Amino acid sequence: MKGSIFSTIFLSVLFSRAKASPLAVLLIISLLPLLFELIFPGHGICERLRPILIFAILGLGLNIVTGNCGLLNLGVAGFMAIGAYTFGILTVPIFPFQINAWLGLLASLIAGAAAGFVLGLPTLRLRGDYLAVVTLGFGEIIQDVIRNLDTITKGSQGLNPLPALSILGVELNNSHPSLSYFSLLIIIFIIVLLLRNLNKSPVGRAWSAVRDDELAAGNMGVPVMRTKLYAFTSGAALSSLAGALWASALGSTGEPGNFDFQLSVTALCIVIVGGLGNLAGVLLGAAVIVGFNSVFLVELSQFLNSAGLSGTQNVLATPANWKFLVLGLVLILMMRLAPRGLIPALKGSSSK
Amino acid sequence: MLKVKNLSLRFGGLTAVSDVSFCVEEGETFAVIGPNGAGKTSLFNAISGVYRPTAGEVLIAGSKSRLPFTMSTVLTVFVSALLTGCAAVLILNLTALWDAVIINKFIYDAAFDWVDCFWGSVAYFSAQNTSFMALPFLSGSIVGGLAALKIFSSTRVGPEVCCSFGLTRTFQNVRLFKDLSALDNVLIGLQNGRGLNFFSSLFHLPSLRKQEAANYKKALELLALVGLGLDAERLATQLPYGSQRKLEIARALACNPKVLLLDEPAAGMNTTEKLALVAIIKRIGALVTVILIEHDMQVVMGIANRILVLDYGSQIALGTPAEICVNQAVINAYLGTSSEVASV
Repeated sequence: MKGSIFSTIFLSVLFSRAKASPLAVLLIISLLPLLFELIFPGHGICERLRPILIFAILGLGLNIVTGNCGLLNLGVAGFMAIGAYTFGILTVPIFPFQINAWLGLLASLIAGAAAGFVLGLPTLRLRGDYLAVVTLGFGEIIQDVIRNLDTITKGSQGLNPLPALSILGVELNNSHPSLSYFSLLIIIFIIVLLLRNLNKSPVGRAWSAVRDDELAAGNMGVPVMRTKLYAFTSGAALSSLAGALWASALGSTGEPGNFDFQLSVTALCIVIVGGLGNLAGVLLGAAVIVGFNSVFLVELSQFLNSAGLSGTQNVLATPANWKFLVLGLVLILMMRLAPRGLIPALKGSSSK
Repeated sequence: MLKVKNLSLRFGGLTAVSDVSFCVEEGETFAVIGPNGAGKTSLFNAISGVYRPTAGEVLIAGSKSRLPFTMSTVLTVFVSALLTGCAAVLILNLTALWDAVIINKFIYDAAFDWVDCFWGSVAYFSAQNTSFMALPFLSGSIVGGLAALKIFSSTRVGPEVCCSFGLTRTFQNVRLFKDLSALDNVLIGLQNGRGLNFFSSLFHLPSLRKQEAANYKKALELLALVGLGLDAERLATQLPYGSQRKLEIARALACNPKVLLLDEPAAGMNTTEKLALVAIIKRIGALVTVILIEHDMQVVMGIANRILVLDYGSQIALGTPAEICVNQAVINAYLGTSSEVASV
């Protein structure tokens, strides 16, 4: 415990020495629940905030494809499912593979990248709406394929029990919530560092160029097809990683129906509300959208229920059911008031 | 350096360019003039790979601007056909294979034997009826091979290919990358000399850092060449219109072209800016072959070695500025006599 307090303080100092960008601020704020959990354990704060972190990774993956490269992807849930089920198949005790959970994460990264490559290759020449429809179809197909291959994926039951990631024998799931939360934060930190590298590199510039004007980019020698493939592959790999982390923390893949279009739309909302193309924006979007929907509304329902103010029979009076009403309202408001997102993408020289 | 032979470009019933032929020598500054709608920008589009010509051909530095059909292309098609065929067979047999190899061989608490799994799959497939597997394999490989061929044929020609053969251009309506700074716009042109490598970008490998530092210096030089040295960090859209046009030229130059197409570079500029532009084009003309479309005859007469005149898609004259000035057909179609001009 002393170790975690020390490392928290260390990281805070590290971030404050960096420029006070929204990213640094957000990462420091994300350490607060950890402190809360350490000081007041037992309230399950870290457990309940974990979906925010998983969706942040999913949003970062979608951000590469839609935010940076301008390719509208409506099937992110499919990649998340691929990641979750790859992890599941390779680690569940009912199949003989039973590899190390960390290797399972790596395998889901690779499987996601392969799936992104396979989806990206035939769809590269499609523009805008057509690409959106194809990716939407892909998401639906993956869901059904997983459900129907029930000798391999156990169909609607899902694969369980799945091992949690463990460091030196300490399991990173609900048995050690603060460590699990912290390890997810570390993973997000590493991903954000790598994505910042990409944004300030030739590949990141090529992505922006293809998003702004594909034709002009081609005339200036940008390899458009390869650039789009890079975006698709890395976005899919990150989304699969999110899926695998989700399955590992939960101990189960859950049923394939969980990875449906609504999940893709939630991810898209995170990216749009937060700010297309902006890393800090995506993190903030995840905190706002998932924080509100999966954390605040659920807590509110439970509170109202326990206070006797509403029962689960009354659908409208149960705030947990307002999820998609809220999502829709937020999207409409955002498009009207702040179309570039809460933190618009910082435009400027990438060579700084 | 650039040879255009009997080039025609038709959009359905509309003929934009009809049977245009000309040759541009190395180091020359060549101008294309004509009334609006004469097909000048369409000609540029056909040459730079934006549209495929309906007829005729374009030779850049002596070679046709298309990727050649090499042995590696054949190999790629063959390999994708093979892979798709195998994938088709695998998908069809997936659940049965899984049962045979994984489930039935599963001994609880024993480590998984990958080698045994491999030989098990081999045994499974050799036990199958060959004709049973032949159909999915053949159809899969046909689909895969055809898809690879289709991808090859559609990426064979196009703007990127023309750029790799040494031809870049600017656009009539400025097409800068809006969300990038002026420096980044130029860096886009510079970075494509070497292929984009994902992993060196991901980890900022030392080789990338060296390359980026060199490109950074070169980009600043190019911006200074067109007179935008102080505006390097500004966003492309924040620049005034004249500077945007100059930035486009710098970006095109960054690709290190042999032939540079300038589409109405002086449009929307006042006299002072036009004079500066003429100086820039003269400086560039010493380094690369320049072909430009222009309406301002003073600019054209000042810098062009030879002029091509288009009207309604076909060429009506080709020659030095002195010859063009007195060519009757050109005067009737475009230039007008001095008395016509005076009466306006």
